[in-house]
Amino acid sequence: MNHSQRVLTPGRLALICLLSLTLQFSDASQPAAAAQASAAQKPAPAPQPPASPSSLSFDRYHAPAELNAALLDMARANPGFVRAQSLAKSPGGRELLLLEIGPEIGKTAHSPQPTNLANAEQIAASAKSLPAVFIAANMEGTVPLSSEAALYLARLILQKPELRSDRTWYILPCGNPDADSLFFTKPLRQDPRNFKPHNDDMDDQVDEDGPEDLNGDGIISTMRVKDPEGEWMPVPGQPRLLKRADWAKGEKGIYKLYSEGIDNDGDGLYNEDGLGGVNVGTNFPHLFKFFGPDSGAWPGSEAESFSLMKFMDEHREVGLTFVFGETNFCLNPPRGGRKGQADLNQIKIPERIASAFGADPARTYTMAEIMEMVKPLIPPGMDVTESMIAGFLELGAVVNPLDDDLKFYKELSEKFKEFLKTNKLDGKRLDPPPDKDGSFELWSYYHLGLPSFALDFWTLPEVKEEKAPEAITADQLEKMTKDEFLALGEEKIDAFLKAAGAPEQFKAKQVIEMVKGGQLDPKKMAEMMKQMPKPPSAEGADPKEKALLAWSDKELGGKGFVDWKPFKHPQLGDIEIGGPVPYADNTPPPAMIEGLLKGQVPWVFEVAKKMPRIKIASVEAKSIGQGVYEIKVRVENTGALPYPTAMARRNERILPVIVTLEGPGIKIVDGKKRTLIPAIPGFATQTATWIIQSDKPVKVEVKAETQIAWRDARTLELGGVK
Amino acid sequence: MKKLIGLVLLLALLAFSLPAQKADMNAGAGAVSPQTPLPPLPLRFDHYYPLDQVYEALRLLNKTYPALTTLEEVGKSDEGRPLMAMTVNNPKTGPALGKPGVYVDGNIHGNEIQGGEIALYLLDYLLGNYGKNEEVTALVDRTSFYVVPVVNVDGRYHFFADPNDPSSNRGLRIPTDDDHDGLIDEDGPDDLDGDGNICMMRKRDPFGAYKTDPEDPRPMVPVKPGEKGEWTILGEEGIDNDGDGKINEDGPGYVDPNRNWGFDWAPPYVQSGSGEYPFRGIGLKALAEWTATKTNIVIGWTFHNNGGMILRGPSRKAVGEFPAPDVAVYDYLGKQAERIVPGYRYLITWKDLYTTYGDSLEWLTQTQGAYGFVAEVFPAESEAFRGASEKPEAPAGEPGLGAMLSGGISERDRLKFNDYLAMGELYKPWKPFKHPAYGDIEIGGWVKMSSRLSAPFMLKDLVHRNAMSVIFTAKNAPAVSLEVTDVKALGRNLYRVRTRLANSKAIPSMSALAQKNNIYPKDMLKVTGDSAKVLEGGLINDPYLDLIAYKKYRPELQFTSVPGFGKVEHQFLVEGKGTITVSYDSRHAGKITKTVELK
Repeated sequence: MNHSQRVLTPGRLALICLLSLTLQFSDASQPAAAAQASAAQKPAPAPQPPASPSSLSFDRYHAPAELNAALLDMARANPGFVRAQSLAKSPGGRELLLLEIGPEIGKTAHSPQPTNLANAEQIAASAKSLPAVFIAANMEGTVPLSSEAALYLARLILQKPELRSDRTWYILPCGNPDADSLFFTKPLRQDPRNFKPHNDDMDDQVDEDGPEDLNGDGIISTMRVKDPEGEWMPVPGQPRLLKRADWAKGEKGIYKLYSEGIDNDGDGLYNEDGLGGVNVGTNFPHLFKFFGPDSGAWPGSEAESFSLMKFMDEHREVGLTFVFGETNFCLNPPRGGRKGQADLNQIKIPERIASAFGADPARTYTMAEIMEMVKPLIPPGMDVTESMIAGFLELGAVVNPLDDDLKFYKELSEKFKEFLKTNKLDGKRLDPPPDKDGSFELWSYYHLGLPSFALDFWTLPEVKEEKAPEAITADQLEKMTKDEFLALGEEKIDAFLKAAGAPEQFKAKQVIEMVKGGQLDPKKMAEMMKQMPKPPSAEGADPKEKALLAWSDKELGGKGFVDWKPFKHPQLGDIEIGGPVPYADNTPPPAMIEGLLKGQVPWVFEVAKKMPRIKIASVEAKSIGQGVYEIKVRVENTGALPYPTAMARRNERILPVIVTLEGPGIKIVDGKKRTLIPAIPGFATQTATWIIQSDKPVKVEVKAETQIAWRDARTLELGGVK
Repeated sequence: MKKLIGLVLLLALLAFSLPAQKADMNAGAGAVSPQTPLPPLPLRFDHYYPLDQVYEALRLLNKTYPALTTLEEVGKSDEGRPLMAMTVNNPKTGPALGKPGVYVDGNIHGNEIQGGEIALYLLDYLLGNYGKNEEVTALVDRTSFYVVPVVNVDGRYHFFADPNDPSSNRGLRIPTDDDHDGLIDEDGPDDLDGDGNICMMRKRDPFGAYKTDPEDPRPMVPVKPGEKGEWTILGEEGIDNDGDGKINEDGPGYVDPNRNWGFDWAPPYVQSGSGEYPFRGIGLKALAEWTATKTNIVIGWTFHNNGGMILRGPSRKAVGEFPAPDVAVYDYLGKQAERIVPGYRYLITWKDLYTTYGDSLEWLTQTQGAYGFVAEVFPAESEAFRGASEKPEAPAGEPGLGAMLSGGISERDRLKFNDYLAMGELYKPWKPFKHPAYGDIEIGGWVKMSSRLSAPFMLKDLVHRNAMSVIFTAKNAPAVSLEVTDVKALGRNLYRVRTRLANSKAIPSMSALAQKNNIYPKDMLKVTGDSAKVLEGGLINDPYLDLIAYKKYRPELQFTSVPGFGKVEHQFLVEGKGTITVSYDSRHAGKITKTVELK
């Protein structure tokens, strides 16, 4: 069932209320947009008046069908360099539309069929020669702003021909349209799962117990129920917020929390099996979490994620990826510190294998040493690679970013911070969440071996913590004399009493009298203080909720947080409904969209400028007589990023730079027709040499080819035997 | 040399593909028509079936036994050949999904063809003996069989059609740039002498590392320090097609179809041959999706060669040992299978063989919740040439995997087997050849249909015994009975109803692993009645002390599972009158309904 289309209008209205935006789009546009999106599959879409990209406005959020409609408009208006293709259909029936912009939209880049030398040239000619940048936005479907960012990026590229003259851009504005549709649906709720049916509670029904908007405010918020077994308590000083009671602090919970709804299937659980199956954003193979509640059965189990894995395999021209979502590899390099990564310089060989290798199971070896051990055992004709040995010894996957790659991540992170400063977007804000296992961004780096970046565009501003007045501790009090204590004065003593959790009626005046009268002294008070239950503390409150509350009160007129109001629940009796409004913490009011994107999206171009670019720096020929020449070709990487990443060197996924030498009738005396240069660091140069012979004067063509870092060619004229 | 053989075998099993020369990729694609008409049933197992004959045999079985069989195209392979599955089910005893399902496949590795014959034999045996043999009839009546004789249809096609060695054409036909030079599948082996086999090349060389075996002019042995060499081994038949200074380094493929499954898949730098992403193989994905609809699969067998092993998971240590109740089931079944197929050893994949990621065994076990076995058929001992009174040769070199795979059988022994039992058909004597790069060389060695393949005269025994292993485990599929053991009136229209679910077979109605990982709903036991209401219901922990684990919500519906050779009992407090219905619904153990009067 397509949720968003069923209850679309009220959903939007709720959102509009919520974020107090001005209504810009008509509801009637939705079916039309959907119709256009479904036309994406057909070879000849119905003619539509071409829409110029400038008609796109960034003062509202676009629903999945509208995103697709916008892409189709762009493609229709610019048939020479823009193409939209459908990658997959979500379980909810929504197309994943991918926009392609660039000079090579006519060329296919699909994997060639079994081939030989004869048709290699032909395949090369039909394949794309320019590298590509891939942008995957809103993979979890919970960050509407990231889809806007993708559209914004597309518009910038359309507006500036220089950005698309020498590379292909692939832009996927929404990788998880089912989940994204929830933002445009009433009642408003946030859930990263697509609409694949799934029996979450493993009972006799599927998707039978989802949430309900009981109070009819258009929002799925939280129910709190007074319960002696409750684990939650109001945050002292901020009674709208709740925190988990900590017995060690003398706290006792009074509430149980549920999401808003009823127990539809009578199993004692609330909303435990609603519509929703798999989080597309964590359905990729690196560190995939098996058996997680929203993981899916295997990485790629979803049409959405599988289509992307297939696309990346077929499009080896992709040399750089960005994820627009909630994580940010531009601000903070991908995190390390995970356990279990093998050190290739310290490999232990299991006992059962050690004897075959002639190795000592008690010591460690380097990979190079093991290769040397294995080589003599292998008959000629067989090749042994590091990855084969690594697999055999079960060394496992790389799980932390490699040091060489962290260098560019760190360098670019510094530059990004300057960039934000220049654009006045460097205000203190909550940290973007860390990368998730199974995410596209991790897969791109660890499996595809690409520089993988992620950008979020907004988090809540950090709340300035008000410093609590310095309170006197029991230990301090113990050492005080009577006079020292009285010297504190009424105000400070009152503050101290409050902080110490003294009963309300216990005022400074009284205490001063008692101390003066000798019924009480500081030492006695210290003892009493030590015996008193600890004062309730705000510690343990969710900093994000605190920030949300402050943001809601200050910027949203309170619309980001539903005030707790009593409700008569058919099953739970007297309850209260309230709490954070979904999306309020990651989706700024529409008026902010353009400013945030204008100051951050262009960072993509800054990174793209740093892509490795392979050039032939020089070609030298030295005649050594009799038509014999020594040819020296210097190949350089004029980009700042390495060719390829250290990770790609480890996983061998990116081809070497292939340098070829061709000319009619030339004979290669020394060197190979296809010379392979595995890696060239940023701004570095490597040399390939040949000795060739040609009796006649000849033009020799030198080519340096890559899939992700451009290619270059030079012609060299040789005189032959004179 | 023995150490070497072991290691080579081991590496060959691991990942090496030394595939044949470029084959006409369209030849036979999609072709199902037979080269030669098949003799009538029963099928014969004194020869190996080329792919088109496998298709034909399946059609013949389907045509002969239309009431018991369904033949389906599960999907297409990477080269477009149909991937066929046969379901054996007696619809008169209920739909296939309502019975325990037994899944059997073979030949996932293109060269490991015996699995195809085992699967065909199993089908032929079950169908041919249905109605004749009581045990077979009973088994077929209460079990569904899902049989996919050839998983790697492209591999089997090319193994028969093209020149090969015994280990080549293992993988999927997914063009892969093995040597990382930007050219794809451009330098595979070449059948230089045109005999349909990829054999070895050697060159006379006084500085070579090998000399002719003093006891047999065909094999070579390494020279000892100080000895004069005679031969340099140049590798498999072939030339340097792409002029990169390497021979046969990038043949067709290679993606290993048994490393490309979605569960615990790892990228190729971690697991060689795993493919660019899980289920890159089009046929594999179709097969996985097909099996996923067979929610009743409780046992899975997948047949490989060679070595004589009955393997269970886990395939990787870090995946974790199976829960103890499951291990007990595996041990019971595995040890019996060892006796059914003498010479085979029941082993744990990661521990006793090697680690694999993304294999089909783990898929069956972890995502289908089945009890899965891999059989590596054809132990090396089958080719021993040794009299009963002769002492066995000392095990090959150091104990370990190599020794296990070679079974202590030397090449000399195997050559005698070739001479006296195969009339020389397994081995090509060395013959001179003029090689474009190496000049005068010799070509010879083991032919394609040798080494890992049983000689046809031994095939019948091999397929029968392995099929009997499958049948033994199938007989142990859960057989659950439901009994209402007690209806006791407690007054005021209140009744205490006790039920017992008992399993007379070894395999539980749900594996402990599937329960642990919560991969599908447990068995459901439900009490309903038109004029009755279940007030309380729960598992009886102790019937004598009346210890009941009552379920608070929806007491009429209990989630449960029935252990192998065991029972579970439940108690319900029912208010009302008349007839109540007790129903049991299990993915792996079928459905049962009983009615009882409240009185």
